[in-house]
Amino acid sequence: MRTSALVLPFLILSCLAAHGGVFPYKYREEVLPNGLRCILVPLDNPGLVAYLTVVRTGSRDEIEPGHTGFAHFFEHMMFRGTEKYPADVFNRIHVEIGSDDNAFTSDDLTCYYLTFSKQFLEKVIDTESDRFMHLKYAVPEFQKEAKAILGEYNKNYANPFFQLEEKFLDTAYDKHTYKHTTMGFIKDIEDMPNQYEYSLQFFDRFYRPGNCVVVVVGDFDPDAVMPLLKKYYGDWKPGTYTAAYPEEPEQTAERTCHVDYEGQTLPLLWVGYKGPAFDPAGKDFAALTVLGKLNFGETSRIYQDLVLKEQKVDFIDGSISNHRDPYPFSVLTRLKDKKDLDAVKSRIEATLEAAKTTPPDEKELAELKSNLKYGFLMGLESTKSTAMNLIEIIQLTGSLMPIETYYKTIDSIAPADIQAAAQKYFVAAHRTVGTLSSGAK
Amino acid sequence: MKTIALAILMAATMRATTGAAEAGPELVQMPNAGSPFVTFRIWIKAGSASDPAGKEGLAYLTAGLIGEGSTRANAYEMILKKMFPMAASYSVQVDREMTVLRGTVHKDHLQGYYTLLKEALLAPAFQEDDFTRLKTDQANFLATTLRYSSDEELGKALLHSVAFAGTSYAHPQQGLVHSVKTLTLDDVRAFYAKHYTRSNIVIGIAGGFGENLVTQIRKDMEALPAGSPVAATLPPAMPAKKGLHVYIVEKETRSTAISFGHPIGLTRANDDFYPMMIANSWLGEHRNSSAHLYQVMREARGLNYGDYSYIEWFPMGGRYSFPPPNAARHRQMFEVWIRPVVNDNRHFALRQASREISLLVQNGMTKDAFELSRDFVPNYSLNYAPTESYRLGLKLDDLFYGLPQSHLDRIRERVKNATLEQVNAAIRKYIDPANLDIVIITQESAPLKKALLENASSPIKYDSPTPQAILDEDKIIQDFKLPIPAENVEIIPVEKVFE
Repeated sequence: MRTSALVLPFLILSCLAAHGGVFPYKYREEVLPNGLRCILVPLDNPGLVAYLTVVRTGSRDEIEPGHTGFAHFFEHMMFRGTEKYPADVFNRIHVEIGSDDNAFTSDDLTCYYLTFSKQFLEKVIDTESDRFMHLKYAVPEFQKEAKAILGEYNKNYANPFFQLEEKFLDTAYDKHTYKHTTMGFIKDIEDMPNQYEYSLQFFDRFYRPGNCVVVVVGDFDPDAVMPLLKKYYGDWKPGTYTAAYPEEPEQTAERTCHVDYEGQTLPLLWVGYKGPAFDPAGKDFAALTVLGKLNFGETSRIYQDLVLKEQKVDFIDGSISNHRDPYPFSVLTRLKDKKDLDAVKSRIEATLEAAKTTPPDEKELAELKSNLKYGFLMGLESTKSTAMNLIEIIQLTGSLMPIETYYKTIDSIAPADIQAAAQKYFVAAHRTVGTLSSGAK
Repeated sequence: MKTIALAILMAATMRATTGAAEAGPELVQMPNAGSPFVTFRIWIKAGSASDPAGKEGLAYLTAGLIGEGSTRANAYEMILKKMFPMAASYSVQVDREMTVLRGTVHKDHLQGYYTLLKEALLAPAFQEDDFTRLKTDQANFLATTLRYSSDEELGKALLHSVAFAGTSYAHPQQGLVHSVKTLTLDDVRAFYAKHYTRSNIVIGIAGGFGENLVTQIRKDMEALPAGSPVAATLPPAMPAKKGLHVYIVEKETRSTAISFGHPIGLTRANDDFYPMMIANSWLGEHRNSSAHLYQVMREARGLNYGDYSYIEWFPMGGRYSFPPPNAARHRQMFEVWIRPVVNDNRHFALRQASREISLLVQNGMTKDAFELSRDFVPNYSLNYAPTESYRLGLKLDDLFYGLPQSHLDRIRERVKNATLEQVNAAIRKYIDPANLDIVIITQESAPLKKALLENASSPIKYDSPTPQAILDEDKIIQDFKLPIPAENVEIIPVEKVFE
């Protein structure tokens, strides 16, 4: 898999009407000659526009030792200005616009977003394109920002889920970059102030048109906006970098890990099995998505037993997370009493075992498909939430179009597909079990 | 700066109608025929400030049993099963003076959803197993999550507790560890009977509903007992000043979270609120990198992840970028939130933030800062109402504060028309740097206490080149005096907080 700039020799233009599809709005998707994909979704919601730049780079791309956490760190640097719009000017423009703007990073992506009143759209295209093409910062700002990252790590650290995630991923993976969280290893965060040169290289590699998607959602005319995108982004030069992602060797035996939490907490249990990467057309991923909801959602037997009746845990969730490379199918729960740990773990494993042989109820399967469809529609309530709900499919596939493929795959899942996926993935040798509880102190 | 979007938003909010039918509770309607969704916010005029003494946490537990419990028609697991194909849910939110039962559904499922929601409100079963589950969760939240899982959320909760000590606002809405343990199902039934009545409930609906839903609601709500208005005993409008008072929570932690502030005696209903919005937005707009504290503490010095200020309660600030509605309070605080700093810089960070407040009171805003902030606030407030549910929530907040026009309208008009003189007068009137409760969550509290009492110098070290102007200012900050009397510093072990 690669994330290098993709230079297309011609423009792809597609005007799509969503007849019968799950996405209810018409949209337009177009690729500029330099590889930048632009997705325009005009909405009836008056006045507001949401503007996203999805960089298809996250902590997955931190393949060199010593640089974990860099994708997230770089997200912070993107607010440090350019020659045309130095940081203070950039800031002032955003104040004048009154925009809601921020960014976030995950394993596979970095996303920058703004929501603002529509008359500022050209100004936003100007400032956004400028920083993606011409970001410029000096060593002192870089080093100060590295300290803010440490502050972010520190603020997260008290959270028991954060500590368990850090330990679990480090245990479950040997080679692949999903071994570290998006925040990165603490030793790398502490060394960030010394990595200025690497940061320049990082920008040069990943902040390229073929690795980015611009998404505009809301109250605007696509015929007027497309020329503006071409004008402002047209000179952005494609990149040449190709990442060699380390391949994760097959896990051959169950792994366990434990965190002694310094404060008081209810114990956490995370049971994970190596799963598939996201694939909109692949039955495995869709089947595990369905399986997770059916077997661990609020209507599942285990939820009703452990949360509501026996009250041994205060929540339970089982799901496969959308990732570009294989990621664990995970069951996460919080126990009310440490003494129930083995019993709850056995119940989780028994539930997964049963999924291999017992087909799900057809009615429940139909209700689940309804749940997924309406769940997606409920996410499209506002301009910003519509934009935010498109990020996942765009970062995973580079386009909005596979959303229809994905929901068709979901719709096609039959009980036998679910059993087949359970048999294929719920293998003891591919299991990692993580626990966290209050330490001896 | 006037925007088209704001104007349209105002038009939408102005369409709202309110009215109480003779037999039913007040009904607020914000119809939007084009919307595929219908959203509900049912406001119960009681929150944790209505908890009887010794029964802290009762409003929260009662609401929990309505939002996450069985009804006389369905066991809770059946409610979950029925809502599952709709991908809908309802939930409760409890603050000091407000409780809301809220949810949104696609029009395709309106009837089935409304039936479940209605039963939750009118026919809660108050079953023993639901009660045990939710009471245990509530006690666990206080004893573990609140105390240990986020130092900054703990700091903010404790700040409100000490600032309103001895009043109905002092305890978190979840209650206290010992009081939650004493709550009984009879307590819950009594609280429900007293507060969940026609006199204390406002039903809000928005989105793509029709007149038949309105008729149905009016008829169904006749089942609520008439009751009588029950007002909580509020804290005094302005508690007595007490100088600088420091509460240090001793806890194993990588870094130090700090929150400080004082009751402000100001709400949206006051004329001075909107000038103060301009000042506060400039000083510390929530999670906005352009604001002053963020610029001087995080951007210039790399002290932490962010630094913000407030003149209104902002729940779950780590999660939300904009204030969620229906956490309205008649007693508010001026509050500064300093996100965790490394322990070596804790004294410096407190000094810097305190000094910035003092400078703002002394010098006021500059003309340039004032104009920029005055233009920013109305545009930014567009983001306060992204969905029909938020717009409906804001409308209920307008009713709570008794505003003659909507808060968003008032922001547009009053912020736009405010003068620099009004803003600076309001800053001097409402911010008092000499009267602060300061909450610090940290380890090794004894040396910090000593340093605070001695006003020991607290220099900051950088391992990166730093402009001379910053270094010069640091010399002033590191010795900035915080006159704290010895008797005003308390060290509290974390396991005692909210006990």
